[in-house]
Amino acid sequence: MTPQNKGTTTEPYRPYGADIKETRPYSPCRAACPAHTDVQAYVGLIAQGKYTEAFEVITAPNPIASVCSMICHHPCEQACRRCGIDEPLSVRHLKRFAIEKSQEYRRAKRRLVQKTRGKSVGIIGSGPSGLTAARDLADFGYSVTIYERHPVLGGMLASAIPPYRLPRNMLKEDIDDVISRGIEVKTGCEIGRDVKLEDLAKKHDAVLIAIGLSQSRSIPIPGVEGPGVLLAIPFLEDVAFDRKPSLGKKVLVIGGGNVAMDVARTARRLGVKDVSMVCLESAEEMPAWKWEVDEAVEEGIAINHRWGPKAVRREGEKVLGLEVKKVKSVFDASGRFNPAYDESNTTLLEADTIIITIGQMSNISFMKDSAVKVDERGRVQWNPETQMSSAPGIFLSGEVVTGPGSAIAAVANGHRAALAMHLHCQGETIEGRLPAAQEKEKIEQMPAEVVEKVARESRVKIKHLAPEVRCDTMVHFEIGYDETEALKEAGRCRGCGGGAVVNPNKCMACLTCQRICPYGAPVVTSVSEIRPEYCQACGLCAPECPGQAISMVSYDVREFRDRMPSLIGAVDPGRKEPHIAAFICTHHVGVFGFKVPSNVHAIPVHCTSRIDVLDILKAVECGADGVAIVRCGEGTCKYRGIMHRVSARAKRVQELMSALGMGPERIEVLSATGGDSASYEAVCAAFSARVKEMGLRKASIR
Amino acid sequence: MIMGSQKPIDEIWAMVKDFNRVLVFGCNTCVAVCHAGGEKEAETIASLVRMRAQQEGRTMEVKHLGVMRHCEPEYFEPVMDEVKKYDLILSTACGVGVNFLSDRTGTIPVFPGINTSFFGSVEAPGFFKELCAGCGNCIVHLTGGLCPIARCSKTLMNGPCGGTNKGKCEVSNEIDCIWYLIVERMKKLGTLEKLSEIQPPRNWATSRDGGPRRISLEHLREYEEKEEKAQATGGKKQ
Ligand SMILES: Cc1cc2nc3c(=O)[nH]c(=O)nc-3n(C[C@H](O)[C@H](O)[C@H](O)COP(=O)(O)OP(=O)(O)OC[C@H]3O[C@@H](n4cnc5c(N)ncnc54)[C@H](O)[C@@H]3O)c2cc1C
Ligand code: SF4
Ligand code: SF4
Ligand code: SF4
Ligand code: SF4
Repeated sequence: MTPQNKGTTTEPYRPYGADIKETRPYSPCRAACPAHTDVQAYVGLIAQGKYTEAFEVITAPNPIASVCSMICHHPCEQACRRCGIDEPLSVRHLKRFAIEKSQEYRRAKRRLVQKTRGKSVGIIGSGPSGLTAARDLADFGYSVTIYERHPVLGGMLASAIPPYRLPRNMLKEDIDDVISRGIEVKTGCEIGRDVKLEDLAKKHDAVLIAIGLSQSRSIPIPGVEGPGVLLAIPFLEDVAFDRKPSLGKKVLVIGGGNVAMDVARTARRLGVKDVSMVCLESAEEMPAWKWEVDEAVEEGIAINHRWGPKAVRREGEKVLGLEVKKVKSVFDASGRFNPAYDESNTTLLEADTIIITIGQMSNISFMKDSAVKVDERGRVQWNPETQMSSAPGIFLSGEVVTGPGSAIAAVANGHRAALAMHLHCQGETIEGRLPAAQEKEKIEQMPAEVVEKVARESRVKIKHLAPEVRCDTMVHFEIGYDETEALKEAGRCRGCGGGAVVNPNKCMACLTCQRICPYGAPVVTSVSEIRPEYCQACGLCAPECPGQAISMVSYDVREFRDRMPSLIGAVDPGRKEPHIAAFICTHHVGVFGFKVPSNVHAIPVHCTSRIDVLDILKAVECGADGVAIVRCGEGTCKYRGIMHRVSARAKRVQELMSALGMGPERIEVLSATGGDSASYEAVCAAFSARVKEMGLRKASIR
Repeated sequence: MIMGSQKPIDEIWAMVKDFNRVLVFGCNTCVAVCHAGGEKEAETIASLVRMRAQQEGRTMEVKHLGVMRHCEPEYFEPVMDEVKKYDLILSTACGVGVNFLSDRTGTIPVFPGINTSFFGSVEAPGFFKELCAGCGNCIVHLTGGLCPIARCSKTLMNGPCGGTNKGKCEVSNEIDCIWYLIVERMKKLGTLEKLSEIQPPRNWATSRDGGPRRISLEHLREYEEKEEKAQATGGKKQ
């Protein structure tokens, strides 16, 4: 028997790490994202200055990535392993940065997709869920039509989320990406009013109902009917569609969720100086995100906690205020939402306008007499296993069935529905074929002994417009990262799950990796196993493995060697200046803003730990007169124990150069003190001058 | 493990310069552990050969490959077709591997890329030390478990000689005097008096002088044959 190919390779190397990535536990950030965006991968790409590559990773699972870069509640950040060290990565802002850098790229890549299936699908609603399903189904080759009752696409993103948080040009970029595939759009078309559901079902091979929760709930209390009392969604729609809503001088918002925050902060921006809120919950119990609450308070919005609405007090038509009763408890013994009041303890909160923001529901009236069954409590019946309604071929997705959540959760559900519709159209069974909604396996928290070894580095703060400025405008209030800030922030990522993996067919248990890893990640028994919760993806081990058994999940360890001719360009036989290859650590310096003399060919590398002896040799082989390894500077390296190894590798190449009769001085390790781009330029220029002194090499290949 | 070190590029070049298609073929066991001839070092040597060819103005195709072990036939099976595409194989396995492969490549020559040096230990990362000479007649039970054949510069059986100097060998200050260590070790074991027994001249018949050596583990070999017989006779166990 052939020992199952143990250690045999006809091709010397395959990027084993990338091949097996999907079989490995996810990084916690990726696992936490409802759409499982590969955060670790794109943050790593940003750190290497590969912004459009990062854009590809970001948008692969997420058609509304620009939107998410503005408004996502970022569960990835809450899950970040850096929380256990200092502060989480600023993932959402890094996403925004990469997307902003890829503006031209994304526009240039928009293309029609061939409709190869000969079948059509109809999608009702153009929120995150509908748009996602539309994109997937277009990519599968279906002819797709979107029906949207509003004049514009985007669902709540277009009609409710206020522009100071989500600039509409960002939404437009996302929508254009989706629509450019050749998707037909019917806006201003309400199903039920303009077209019947049955007719749609006849017209298309499958239909998706992705209508979200587009109606606000009211509260059945005395005085609620009449002028001066508004509902949240119609109010926000008026703002979104520039139909100036009329507010008084004193606005009270009922509710303690994120939508209530949006309503209150929007009222503030419409010129109302006195905006307050009232909610059942205490500050700790409030469902709104803490940062939303903090920002609202900064804007001068007062919050009355633990009061429940009792009646709207009026004088004639005019609203005087809201009578409220004290809340004894919000949740019952079993933790269910079930508020209890002290009816005797009441007070009047004065206001001339009240906006009710206590929750939303779907308008499902158009399903009434259709084959789509609705239960006695007004909920659409559906099978979460297949995303199908009681009517064959009519599917559901998004908040209409999942209930209120986040935009990215609606995206994730839209993917499921699209796959279900595709299977249905292909006559295949759907059961058991949709990705499980349950949590993905993720790597463990970082062990304390590793946390100790990681340098503290605080998060690069995001700047906001000052409260007094931002309250007067609907302009977006966050100021994104510039390149230096983004690279610095991306450099904080520990690359969780993107690190070293051993191909067990090639490992001969030599112990090298176990001996050199600064974090104690590899454990060698019959073969080496690298513990992902320990590994920091520094890449130090791979170039040392004598069997080339180590790959990295997040990058191709052979990339430099394989791409060297194009990385350093053709060597001009008549050149006057030396042709220099410079591996440059990108950790502290921008790649694009980075200047080097024109004869120096910069090869950006995340850390010099990743440079193999073979990479340096390859640069010489490709004709470089000199090769520099430019480190980020003393004491600034994000990893441990790198300097000594990198110097040892350079020394080895110097010895080999001597053996070949070439000057060992052609190889140097340089250190850019301070880590700014000026010092990088200076050390490169000085090295180039030294190489010139030595003379230019005669021979060159390829 | 078997330890080796890479041959200088000049020596390698002299061997390969007249060939057009060269495969540098690594072994991913002993010689990989000592970082001399595993797949990684095969790639390094291939790179050096390409550069030398370039310096000499020679057009040459130089590739590399590695398998887990060069001294057992099964490991070669999946790659032999590929290997036979070359004019020359520069093996970076130990001498065993070079010989073993030579028997299997027909008209394609197999040359050594490394010098096979000794049987040794990995004392510390990157530091390998000869501890056994493979003499074929082990006597270390008489010497506190430490081998004077491999580790005494003069292969003395009744040491130390007069050159012993504060624990070091007269050949070099870098070399421990093994006889000094033997004495110290046997003191610790409480068997020092055994050293007063004079050892007779060694029987070198088991060493290289007896011709190429081989070991046959009869129990393993017989076992396989028996299995085969059992199958041939309808599976009855004997
Ligand atoms: C004020 C507000 C702020 C929010 N802020 C955030 C936030 O910061 N971060 C976050 O992640 N999420 C936020 N959300 C939640 C997010 O908007 C939703 O999770 C998401 O929009 C749900 O997507 P969906 O596709 O299910 O439905 P929707 O986005 O609601 O889209 C449904 C679409 O269907 C259309 N429609 C309905 N009925 C019909 C019909 N009969 N015919 C044709 N079209 C129809 C509607 O007009 C709408 O365009 C917010 C929501 C609101 C209301
Ligand atoms: S450090 Fe990076 S990879 Fe790890 S959880 Fe945080 S964002 Fe994800
Ligand atoms: S360095 Fe390579 S061969 Fe050695 S134990 Fe680690 S993975 Fe295995
Ligand atoms: S050396 Fe770096 S990449 Fe390799 S296992 Fe250790 S932490 Fe991971
Ligand atoms: S050929 Fe065999 S003995 Fe020689 S180095 Fe390889 S495994 Fe060891």
